[in-house]
Amino acid sequence: MKKTFLSILAALICMTMVFSMTAFAAEAAPVSTVEEGVLNIATNAEFPPYEFKEGDGFAGIDIEIAGAIAEALGLELKVNDVEFGSIIGGVQSGKYDIGIAGMTKTEERLQSVNFSETYAIGVQVIIVKEDSDIQTADDLVGRKIGVQQDTTGDIYCCGDFGDENVTEYRNGAEAVQGLIAGKVDCVVIDNEPAKSYVAATEGLKILDTEYVTEEYAICIAKESEDLLAAINGVIKDLQESGKLQEIVDKYISAGEEAEEEESK
Amino acid sequence: MNDALIQVRDLKKYYDNGRIKALDGVDIDIRKGEVVVIIGPSGCGKSTFLKSLNLLEMPTEGKIIFEGVDINDSSVNVNIHRQKMGMVFQHFNLFPHKTVLGNITLAPTKLKGISKEKGRERAMELLRMVHLEDKADAYPAQLSGGQKQRIAIARALAMDPDVMLFDEPTSALDPEMVGEVLDIMKELARGGMTMIVVTHEMGFAKEVGSRVIFFDGGQIREENTPQEFFAHPKDPRLQDFLSKVLI
Amino acid sequence: MTEWFNSLADTFYRCFIEDSRWKWMLEGLGNTMIITVFALMIGIILGIIVAAVRSTYDMNGAAMKKKGGPAYIFLRIGNFICNLFLTVIRGTPVVVQLMIMYFIILINVTNGVLVAIIAFGINSGAYVAEIFRSGIMSIDEGQIEAGRSLGFNYIQTMIFIIIPQAVKVVLPTLFNELIVLIKETSVAGYVGVMDLTKAGDKIRGRTFEAFMPLFAVAAVYLVIVIILTRILRIIEKRLRKSERR
Repeated sequence: MKKTFLSILAALICMTMVFSMTAFAAEAAPVSTVEEGVLNIATNAEFPPYEFKEGDGFAGIDIEIAGAIAEALGLELKVNDVEFGSIIGGVQSGKYDIGIAGMTKTEERLQSVNFSETYAIGVQVIIVKEDSDIQTADDLVGRKIGVQQDTTGDIYCCGDFGDENVTEYRNGAEAVQGLIAGKVDCVVIDNEPAKSYVAATEGLKILDTEYVTEEYAICIAKESEDLLAAINGVIKDLQESGKLQEIVDKYISAGEEAEEEESK
Repeated sequence: MNDALIQVRDLKKYYDNGRIKALDGVDIDIRKGEVVVIIGPSGCGKSTFLKSLNLLEMPTEGKIIFEGVDINDSSVNVNIHRQKMGMVFQHFNLFPHKTVLGNITLAPTKLKGISKEKGRERAMELLRMVHLEDKADAYPAQLSGGQKQRIAIARALAMDPDVMLFDEPTSALDPEMVGEVLDIMKELARGGMTMIVVTHEMGFAKEVGSRVIFFDGGQIREENTPQEFFAHPKDPRLQDFLSKVLI
Repeated sequence: MTEWFNSLADTFYRCFIEDSRWKWMLEGLGNTMIITVFALMIGIILGIIVAAVRSTYDMNGAAMKKKGGPAYIFLRIGNFICNLFLTVIRGTPVVVQLMIMYFIILINVTNGVLVAIIAFGINSGAYVAEIFRSGIMSIDEGQIEAGRSLGFNYIQTMIFIIIPQAVKVVLPTLFNELIVLIKETSVAGYVGVMDLTKAGDKIRGRTFEAFMPLFAVAAVYLVIVIILTRILRIIEKRLRKSERR
C-alpha cells in the first residue's frame, strides 16, 4: 500500500518536472539571462531624467530604453534599484544582466565589464548659486565641489581638483541640498538631472561652460557576449526607427536637445 | 527651653497617603550625655524614628529641635546640623573605594576644611581608640564585619558630633564580633557621649543605658530606667516582648 | 592556482596601490577614529549631565517636592527635557539624526567631520546617560545615607561617594559603547564625510571590485574592535581585582 503510494507520488513529480521544463522552453529567450525570461537591469534611480522613482515604479530615459530592449528580446523587464557604485560589481558577478544608469564608458570600467554602443550623450555641468563668483570650470580650483559619489563627475573632479576639495554625496539631490545649505560652492553633475534640479530650486543656475562631455552606454558582463551583440542590435534598430529619439524627447524638450547637438 | 539636646514633638511619618503609620506621634527629650536605648519588635518604627532624627527619613510632620533649631523646618539647611549628628548603620556603609583612612578623613577634610595632616592625625587617634590603627591603609573589603563597624564608628566620630545615632549596630555581625563593637560603644558612653541606640542587645541596655524606650506601632509604649524597665515592665506588649527575647 | 593568485594580486593592486588608494583607507580610518573619540567625549559629558538630572529627580524628587520652591520646579523641567531628549534620540535612527544635523540644524558648519562628531556625540550622550544612571542606581542606598549622615549635601555625596563607585561599575559598559560607536559611525558617509566605510565605497566605485574593498574595510573594523575588546577584558580583570583586594 505504502509502496504504491510512493510510486504514484514519484510519477507525479516526474510529470510535473517534464511539464514545467517544456513550459520554460516555449518561453525561452534567444539570449540567456540571469533569470529565465527576465531582463534584470541594475540602475540607481536618483538620476533624473535618466532614471528616477515614479509612483511605485521607475521611469526615465534609461528605464524606457531598457524596456524597449527587453521587449525586442522577448524578455520581461525587472528593475533593480541599487547604489551607483554597486552596479558594475553586480553585473560582473552575474546578479544582474545589464547596468543602465547614465554610465560612461571609461578605460577603468572596461577592465571589469563590456559596454554597448553609445545610446546617449551626457554632459557634466556645474551648478552654482545665482550670486556665485564661479564663472567657468577653471574657477573651481580650490573651491568646495559637491558630486554624486562614484559618478564620472566625481572621478573627474577628484582627479582635476584633488580629493580633499570634493564632497561626495550619496545622490544628486543631496549634493544640490549641500549646495543650497552652503556646504559646497558648486555641484558637478550630469546636464539632464542638473536641469531638473535647477528648475525645481530657486536661486540656482547652470554655468554655460560644460565641464566634461561623455557618452552613455550600457554595461554587460564580459561573459555575456551574445547579450552584448543582441543589445547592440536593438540599440541600432531603436536609433534607425527613431524610437530612441522619441524616448529622449519625451523627457527632454527638443530645444535643449538641439543645444546639446550643437555643443557636440 | 530646657537643657535637652534634642526635643522631638509629635513626630509623624506616614506612607501610602497615611494608610501606613510608621511614626504616629512621638514626643521625647534627650539630654546631653544620656544614653537612650530603643528596643521593640521589628517593623515597630524604631529605625524610622532614628533615621528621622537626622532627616534621612523625611517626617510627614512634627518638630525635631536639635540644639535649639527645628531641623524639620524647610528653611533650615539640614546638612550643617547633620555634621553634629554621627550615625552608625546596621550594614556599616563604609565607602568601598576608599581606604580606612580615606573613609575617616573624607568628611572632615571636605566639609570642615581640616588639613590632610590634621585629619590624618585625628583619624589615627580614633583608630587607636577602636584598636585598628594597623588597618589604616586597608580597604573595607579586607576587614571583618566587626572591624568594619568599628571603623564606621570612628568615621562618625571624626566629625566630632554632639550626638551619636546607632541603628542596630550589631545586628549584621557574627556573634563572636558583637562584643568588640559593644565594648567600643560602652567606652564611648562612659566618655560622656550622648547616644541614641536602636538595638536588640538587652545586656548593653542594662549596663550603660540611662533610659530604655519600648517602641511599638510607631509610638513610644514605655520609657524607664533600665532597672525598672526590665524588672517591672508595665505595658502588656512589652511584657510579651521581653518574655520572648530574654530567654 | 597561480592564475587565481595573480588575479587576486592584480585586484589588490587596483584596489589599494593604484592612484595611492590606500591613502583613502588611511584617511577614512583617521576620520572614523576622530569622530568616534570626540563623539564619545561629548557623549560622556552630556551623559553625566542628563544622568545627574534624572537620578537626582528619581532619588531626591520626593523630598524636594515637599520643600517646594524654584529648585524643585527647575528639576522637574530639567527632568522633563532629559526624558524628551532620551525618547527622541533613542527613538530615531542615528543616520536620520545625522542628516537633520547636517542639512537643517548645523547648516552653517561646512566641516562634515565636525557635524558628525556633534551628531554622534549627542546620540551617544543619550545612551551614556542611561549607562551612568543605571550605574548610579546600582550603588547601595546605604552609601547615600552614609554620605548624607556625615553632612555632605546631595551633590557632594554624588561627587565624592557615589560617582567614583558608579564609574567603576559602568566602565565596562561605557567601553562597550565605544565599540558600538565605532561601528555606528560607518553611516558618516551620508553627509559626505570620508570615513572608513566610505573609503571602501569609493574604492568600490572606482574599481568596481566588491570583494576586496568590502573585506578590507570589514577587516579594519574587526581588528580595531578586537584590540578594544582585549583592553576591555584587561580593565574588567583589574576592576575585579581591586574589589577583592
